[in-house]
Amino acid sequence: MEEIKKASKAKLVVSGIIPILILAGMIGYIFGPGSALLDFGTPLPEITIEKIEFLDSKIVATVRNTGPIDVEVVQADVNDRIQPAAIEPDKNLTRFETAKVIIPFQWNNAEPYEIGLTLSDGTRFAKSVDAAAHAPEQSLELVAYFAVIGTYVGIIPVMIGLLWFPFIARMSKNKYKFFLALTAGLLLFLGIDAIEEGLGISSENFAGAFNGTLLVTTVVVISFLGLYYTSEKLVNRYATSTMAKPVVIALMISIGIGLHNLGEGLAIGAAIGLGAIALSKFLIVGFTIHNTTEGLAIAAPMARVKPMIGKLAAMGMIAGTPAIFGAWIGGFIYSPFTAVVFLSIGAGAIFQVVVSIIKWIRQDGEKTLSNAAVVSGIAVGMLVMYLTSILV
Amino acid sequence: MNLVKTMKGKMLISLIAVSVASVIYFTFLVVNINAAEQPRTFLTHSGALIQTTGDILDPVGYAGKPLEFNPDEYMREFSYGRVSKLPDGTTLREFTIIAEDDKIMEISPGVFFNVWIYNGTVPGPTIRATEGDLVRVKFINNGQMPHTIHFHGIHKSEMDGVFESVGQGGGQFTYEFVAGPVGVHPYHCHVMPLEEHISRGLYGVYIVDPKEGRPPADEMVMTLNGFDTDFDTENNFYAANTIPFYYQHHPIQINANELIRVYVVNMLEFDQINNLHLHGNLFDYYPTGTSRLPSIYTDVVTFSQGERGIMEFNYAYPGKYLFHAHKTEFAEKGWTGLFLVKDSVESKEYGEK
Repeated sequence: MEEIKKASKAKLVVSGIIPILILAGMIGYIFGPGSALLDFGTPLPEITIEKIEFLDSKIVATVRNTGPIDVEVVQADVNDRIQPAAIEPDKNLTRFETAKVIIPFQWNNAEPYEIGLTLSDGTRFAKSVDAAAHAPEQSLELVAYFAVIGTYVGIIPVMIGLLWFPFIARMSKNKYKFFLALTAGLLLFLGIDAIEEGLGISSENFAGAFNGTLLVTTVVVISFLGLYYTSEKLVNRYATSTMAKPVVIALMISIGIGLHNLGEGLAIGAAIGLGAIALSKFLIVGFTIHNTTEGLAIAAPMARVKPMIGKLAAMGMIAGTPAIFGAWIGGFIYSPFTAVVFLSIGAGAIFQVVVSIIKWIRQDGEKTLSNAAVVSGIAVGMLVMYLTSILV
Repeated sequence: MNLVKTMKGKMLISLIAVSVASVIYFTFLVVNINAAEQPRTFLTHSGALIQTTGDILDPVGYAGKPLEFNPDEYMREFSYGRVSKLPDGTTLREFTIIAEDDKIMEISPGVFFNVWIYNGTVPGPTIRATEGDLVRVKFINNGQMPHTIHFHGIHKSEMDGVFESVGQGGGQFTYEFVAGPVGVHPYHCHVMPLEEHISRGLYGVYIVDPKEGRPPADEMVMTLNGFDTDFDTENNFYAANTIPFYYQHHPIQINANELIRVYVVNMLEFDQINNLHLHGNLFDYYPTGTSRLPSIYTDVVTFSQGERGIMEFNYAYPGKYLFHAHKTEFAEKGWTGLFLVKDSVESKEYGEK
């Protein structure tokens, strides 16, 4: 009996390995003896300039090899005029490798520039900056500055939103549903907004090699599934206690919003880090207004249980503080890739929150969503966000 | 929590590990791994100092192996052909020019481009004859497409290099004409698409000297050209004699108080005009070199495509003097050079070989 079991297990392992071996053999053949078979067309080199920083009397461009073959960067230019430059660590870039090109150049504030790099086959790749601005020095002061900005856009507005708690707590059941649905609408809008932003950054900055759209989709789905799974696990664990369940849901909402705020902080940090100061002021005002509604989303599930100020405040912190970390990441180690990944994680998290809220509405006695309060709540939520996005 | 023990838990953990690892990979690759290395300092041609642990990208301060094409040699190399006398006393000059179109040449330090060439280089050899000589050019096309040679000058229709395209893979044609008129002329391929056949490098200079000769001088050729290496019908590189910034790094050495004669031919494609500005001096300019009298005494001369002429000047003061396109875009993309005027006046021999 034992032997039969062993034999069948061995068979199972073998049957699992055989396809992998065949696949490996086929790939080996294509790269080895069979390479002539697929030798048609010429692979074209491609590089992407991911970041341009303006420093004292110099411009620093971060470039990545995003093509199918190794490349050699042989020349740099500013506004299509050849400039001497240095490239670190060296001018040979293997696939996906990055390098920094340092161009000594007396640039003028707030003027547009185009930075170009030429490869050994004479092809030139360029990226433009609308208005040059000095990149902030990486100092402790800047760390503190980002922390203040993060507090301003993350923690404070969420806390303000939480102040609606007593208002929601005293409301009739239908009005309460309306407010829950309203937050779902607001968040749905934010999620779509984050995806749009992620797609925008990827199409502007990514080479085809990165499959920007699929990266966004994949990360959104994984983020959603991961949080959904964790949330369900936690909710089921504490489902026995009717007291704890709303708390768990609120906690999951605050975690989701926290991940979303990480993406927002990243966008602000990157805007400041890249010297787009006007843009970052716009972002700060926009996010502060948006994020006030996030406090509402956390407060709403808790509104039917007895007030727990400490827990609410803690959730506010969970939702708000990631904005600070986001600002640090965005300001100090920005790359379009990180930005897209974090925005997508945030979008997935937000959608999970939307699902949680809708479930919460349904568990509260509503079997369908075709309730006037719910439908109008979602619609109003999205409209409000759309209008504020135009106004800000 | 027994997250680690369950299958679901393991999957979740591996998923998180993969995503975190990929984010870190793409985020932190930017960090310079050579940070510990001692930085070296470079002085660039713009005067700026660069400190780096990496490589230097400077078309002027290039200190690598010498380029295949040497503008210094090209500049003062005149091809007079195989000389013989015909029974009637006429001088016969015989040349052989071979066209190829599969050569990859380093046209700027590190930049490799498929050039089309006469006798192995861009520009082709400088053909030189005296007015009235019989010029016979045996043309062999070793390229992969038809080519010709179209000489500017006075000749019969069938010697114009337009209607008799010479087939690829060893096709031959012999161009024969009497050298004239006196001056400096271009020659180039005249097969369609014309812009491509010229801009890729199928051109050269053809000089016809007057029978009585010109006053002795230090003579040189400057072919103003450029390359469109990314095929967007705009030049990426500009130069006098092919290599961008070459003469800025290797100044042309001339003597003070000595007559300098420059045969300038503008073979630049894509751009409507090109020009030349000489620093610290003015020159006599002879358009097309056909007249014995200069048309102007100036320091800037402008050329449309195919235009050419002869410049004559001498420097009174030793030192370094720039010459460059006053169309500064071209200057900043390589069409810039230096004369180094030396004090010593050594006697030099000139004249025909």
